[in-house]
Amino acid sequence: MASCKATDAVYHVDPPPAAKKLRELFYCAHMVHSHIAHFYALAAPDFVLGPTSDPAERNILGVVAKVGLEIGSEVIKHRAYAQDIQNVIGGKATHPVFALPGGVSKPITEEERKDFEEKAKSEVEFAKFSLKLFNDVVLANKDYLALITGDIYIMKSYYMGLVDSNNRINFYDGDVRVVDEDGKEIVRFKPAEYLDYIAEHTEPWSYLKFPFLKKIGWKGFIEGRESGIYRVSPLARLNAADGIATPLAQAEYEKMYQTLGGKPVHATLAFHWARLIELLYAAERLLELSQDKEITSPEVRTIPTATPDEGVGIVEAPRGTLIHHYQTDSKGIVQKTNLIVATCHNYPAMNMSIKKVAQAVIQKGQEVSEGLLNMVEMAFRAYDPCFGCATHTLPGQMPLEVIIYDSQGGVVRRLSQSLPG
Amino acid sequence: MKTLVLGLGNPILSDDGVGIRVAQELRSNLEYEGTAVMEASVAGLDLLDLLTSYDKAIIIDAIQTREGRPGQVYRLKVEDFMATQHASLLHDVNFATALELGRRLGIPLPKEIVVFAVEVEDVTTFNERCTPKVAQIVPVVVDMVMRELNVE
Repeated sequence: MASCKATDAVYHVDPPPAAKKLRELFYCAHMVHSHIAHFYALAAPDFVLGPTSDPAERNILGVVAKVGLEIGSEVIKHRAYAQDIQNVIGGKATHPVFALPGGVSKPITEEERKDFEEKAKSEVEFAKFSLKLFNDVVLANKDYLALITGDIYIMKSYYMGLVDSNNRINFYDGDVRVVDEDGKEIVRFKPAEYLDYIAEHTEPWSYLKFPFLKKIGWKGFIEGRESGIYRVSPLARLNAADGIATPLAQAEYEKMYQTLGGKPVHATLAFHWARLIELLYAAERLLELSQDKEITSPEVRTIPTATPDEGVGIVEAPRGTLIHHYQTDSKGIVQKTNLIVATCHNYPAMNMSIKKVAQAVIQKGQEVSEGLLNMVEMAFRAYDPCFGCATHTLPGQMPLEVIIYDSQGGVVRRLSQSLPG
Repeated sequence: MKTLVLGLGNPILSDDGVGIRVAQELRSNLEYEGTAVMEASVAGLDLLDLLTSYDKAIIIDAIQTREGRPGQVYRLKVEDFMATQHASLLHDVNFATALELGRRLGIPLPKEIVVFAVEVEDVTTFNERCTPKVAQIVPVVVDMVMRELNVE
């Protein structure tokens, strides 16, 4: 979707309202399927089975065994509903083929709209159920609540997200807003202005770059307002906004901040809670849009007339702010591209989160176990990262290595998984 | 018996698209009642949606093994691998886990799944064509699938 908006900008064309609504509807369905998959397949095992439980059980199969087969079926069903909606609008759920500069390739029918409406209603109920599950399994467990609010998973940073004109979150469009560790807005910009506000630091030990706020500067891997490091993510979006435009999600938003001591929240594990609140928002927004008769309008494309040259498109991907920037020749052939994906924005913070947990849980004389690796992974997993997207390569499995040194720099122990051979 | 022939892969990543190429060839050759031919770029839980309600599935995909030579073809069952490089999505579960989940949830899945895995050379270069060694094996894989379907 970022690419689609970038090409609108390259061709200096504004899509008609129905096209924007169809794009946003598709996109909300995408958020629904992605957030469901992440929570139930990747995040829930840590909490439903426990962070140090047997890895053979600490997966979606273990979750389903514990919470019940019926819930597992509901997970599959609601992911499929979201994919169905994407298939109908986009041609394909993965690698959709409907977005064009100036709009989309085809309208939808009234029959399709009604189908979306029914599926969206079910998605709202499932999102409500998911939040209740999180409440019953995670928040009601004092140990898990302590884990979420505990110091080792806390990181103070700036937060970035797209907001509408009322400063409420919007996945598809808006201004980019950044708030500080107290929640105060420090910058706000249009997509085309991003290079005035974001720069990227490099380190010799990584292909992935380290974005930071230009206004503050790169001060190294440190927390707090003096550091230009910022975070994106569901929690960052909620921190950067003043609220949510749909009523049920707004109520959950208020509940989260009330429970966690006010706004903004710096608890990295609260990304999972925020992700479920966003699931509810995406479902409610899906329902709103599917009930808007304008989405069946045949007017879904404005034909571009300007000569293409350069454009920036920004959306909120499931993991955070996504920037696509293209420069083209006069025929629209891309000459230069810059992409900053969510995992890239979060890369400085991810490194710091992992280090903080590792340093806290590795204590002299204590056995270093597989559970340790998982506690470190949890700091990383909350970001729902994709190094494939961020480095533009495809590593496959998730390699992880923890090396423990003594005070003289000698290697005491190595723990690893999925390292290349 | 309802059979699905499913070519998996990424059609713009060179040899990663070999499954797609085989499926495209099969569609033009194969007019067989009860057999569906699909191409898809999905993995993990998304595969369950495609496999539902078929009695047998034949999947064609790319594979890279430590000792393999590009152009080799393996006939595998699901039990033969827990994870391959691209049978797992980076944001999802692997193929074997997805199938096991589907079975436990009572989703009607094929009783038999055969995987024709083609040893490939390059899955990281953007290209809509396979490398020569892989491209020339496509007709062989087509023939293997036809034999699996007992079609002359």
